Amino acid sequence: MSSDYEFSDDDGDYYDDEDMVDGTQEEESEDDMDMDAFGEDFKVVPKGKHKAYEVEYDSLSQAAVEKLMKQDVDHICGIFGVDVSTANLLLRYMKWNKERLIEKYMDNPTTMLVAAGVVVPEASSQPAPAPIRTHSSTSSSTTRRPTRATSKLLALASGSKSAKSPSVSPVSPPSSFYIPKSLKPKVEEPFVCPICFDDDTSIQTLALDCEHTFCFGCWTAYAGSKIRDEGEHSMRCMAEGCALVAPDHFIRSILIPEPGAPVGDTSQEAENKKTWDRFQELLVRQFVACNNNLKFCPYPSCTNTVSCPSAASKASLAIVVPTVSCGARGLGPQATSQSQTEGGLGLPGKEHMFCFGCPIESDHRPVVCGVARMWLKKCRDDSETANWIKSNTKECSHCQSTIEKNGGCNHMTCKKCKHEFCWVCMGPWSEHGTAWYSCNRYDEKTGVDARDAQSKSRASLERYLHYYNRWANHEQSAKLSLDLYAKTEKKMEDMQITSALTWIEVQFMKKAVEEVDKCRMTLKWTYAMAYYLAKGNQKDLFEDNQRDLEKAVEDLSELLESPIEAENIPTLRQQVTNKTVYVQKRNEIVLEDTANGFVEGRWRWNVTVEGFDDPEFAD
Amino acid sequence: MSGICRPRLTEERKQWRKDHPFGFYAKPAKAADGSMNLMEWEVGIPGKPNTPWDGGLFKLVMNFPEDYPSKPPKCKFTPPLFHPNVYPSGTVCLSILDEEKSWKPAITIKQILLGIQDLLDDPNVNDPAQSDAYTMFKNDKQAYERRIKQQARDNIPK
Repeated sequence: MSSDYEFSDDDGDYYDDEDMVDGTQEEESEDDMDMDAFGEDFKVVPKGKHKAYEVEYDSLSQAAVEKLMKQDVDHICGIFGVDVSTANLLLRYMKWNKERLIEKYMDNPTTMLVAAGVVVPEASSQPAPAPIRTHSSTSSSTTRRPTRATSKLLALASGSKSAKSPSVSPVSPPSSFYIPKSLKPKVEEPFVCPICFDDDTSIQTLALDCEHTFCFGCWTAYAGSKIRDEGEHSMRCMAEGCALVAPDHFIRSILIPEPGAPVGDTSQEAENKKTWDRFQELLVRQFVACNNNLKFCPYPSCTNTVSCPSAASKASLAIVVPTVSCGARGLGPQATSQSQTEGGLGLPGKEHMFCFGCPIESDHRPVVCGVARMWLKKCRDDSETANWIKSNTKECSHCQSTIEKNGGCNHMTCKKCKHEFCWVCMGPWSEHGTAWYSCNRYDEKTGVDARDAQSKSRASLERYLHYYNRWANHEQSAKLSLDLYAKTEKKMEDMQITSALTWIEVQFMKKAVEEVDKCRMTLKWTYAMAYYLAKGNQKDLFEDNQRDLEKAVEDLSELLESPIEAENIPTLRQQVTNKTVYVQKRNEIVLEDTANGFVEGRWRWNVTVEGFDDPEFAD
Repeated sequence: MSGICRPRLTEERKQWRKDHPFGFYAKPAKAADGSMNLMEWEVGIPGKPNTPWDGGLFKLVMNFPEDYPSKPPKCKFTPPLFHPNVYPSGTVCLSILDEEKSWKPAITIKQILLGIQDLLDDPNVNDPAQSDAYTMFKNDKQAYERRIKQQARDNIPK
């Protein structure tokens, strides 16, 4: 996906022909407009031709995911002949695994309904309420028969209810599985809410099918605490031990009262609306989490989801690098607007790009997740630093300062304490006389072996440092790209002043900076890849491609940094434009070739990598 | 539910004074200036008769969060109790005291205390909170019982 080049206040027709070699531009901006036109519907991310290093994926808005959920729910409704709320609760309970749900439901529908908290367990089996039990496991708490606890609790609140209740509450459980209860004003009898002990005659009360009645305010507050504080989408009845789960329309009715219905606290209205929105989001999140084909966009407060079936299995991650984008940009819920310019993460209004397969970095192409993860772990471990110190330095035997010997003979004089000693045997120099280059006191087999071991460790360390330094260098440069961006912006302004070029005509600079940034990310990860690649022709070819790209990027970088003089702006423009196109092509080649290599199974590693065959013997 | 925390505790206090199980006590703590702190209760839980816990009265502090009763109170034996489901800090590990497990806003203080009393002689080996009591309970029931009886004697109310 390379749709980095939209600008806030233009339609995308500003490129003149010679600047724009990339023919996909026009398509992309059109597709983007289509996307906007569809609004909340399925967003199919614009894609030109499918490239080897790109994966097929769809970006879904929250509404689109809700549609998918609805399909499953409707399917279950059709099979079981239950209503939507029941199907929802069942699916959520079974983690959206339709097959298992169908199997288990067919086996024993009642058990399933009880377990999912849709109905209260049958009354007859257990006459008295179970005494309050300790550490009930989930199974025991769900099978407990809680209904009669009401009277006990209410008796504690006030004795008056039990006296009058038979006329009000049905004696037997509801005949159908679920009868939605709307607001049940019980003004005619003194009711005391068992939670807040409010006995105001005007309070509104509500109960689920289990008939555990509580006041409106307590329900609202409880829902708020469950949904907002705990991020819990399943809310059980507030009565002790009752496993009945509140269906969606019940939660909606306590958070967003229907017009005309009496409201507990109007000041909470906005807050409750937010809670309801959060509840919807939690449901979507659960659905997404249960589905391997889907992933939630990890950017803060973004609610989009990406569907990428080709990267859903673990095995597929050895073949593709699933870099995806949810279609939104920048930060915040209104991030979809492309004019967003304040963005703390790199370039302003950046796409929400992330890796579908791992959380380590948004775009680690061309290297696959397993190798990227291994590399980062290695870099994070302090072991390499310690290793370096160990193989390159020794301590002064007198003052313990760390000393790196970078040349000269074995006669060392500590800079700090002026202690004179032999580098080889670490003994005081006074005993050595004139044996400047060979310490005869150590010229035994053990001494030779020790030095061999040291040089071996040094060689492997140097190899690592070679790759690490280049990797880190590109990372650093990419971090500095924000500076470069600012500088370039300044340059572009200058150019508009000092030459006759218009705003549109100086955009080539911006494009060049973006390209450099992108290529540096690729380069960075090619070093991680090269470190683990087994020696051989394939690696040589890989490194050739890498070298070409690196050279091109550095050249372009240099051009961008060069000072601007009015008279050579046309040449500069020509050069930068040419280089940008070239760099783009080189980058394409590296990505394409590596991606094809994974598909063809061409790459061999010098270590064991998850999902690959055992390494060939190398290095 | 922050608004209903204090009214609820006031009512709990009222109900408790009207009627509470035999041998128990529960009252809000007194601050240094003599004022009552509703958010912290001092309670005593007696061991059940005919168990090694008989005779002891075990002191416990209940700390109520501002969002009680949405969230459960924290119950802590002072001093910490020798029991498989009591953390070394004294905090009780019990499913009805865990908002992610079985806590419900409708559970009363009386129910909590009776629940803890039940727990004393009926520990849950699947959810140990301290190693000393747990290993002894698992490996040497007799020594465990002796230790519990001793603990009960140490906690006879004066």
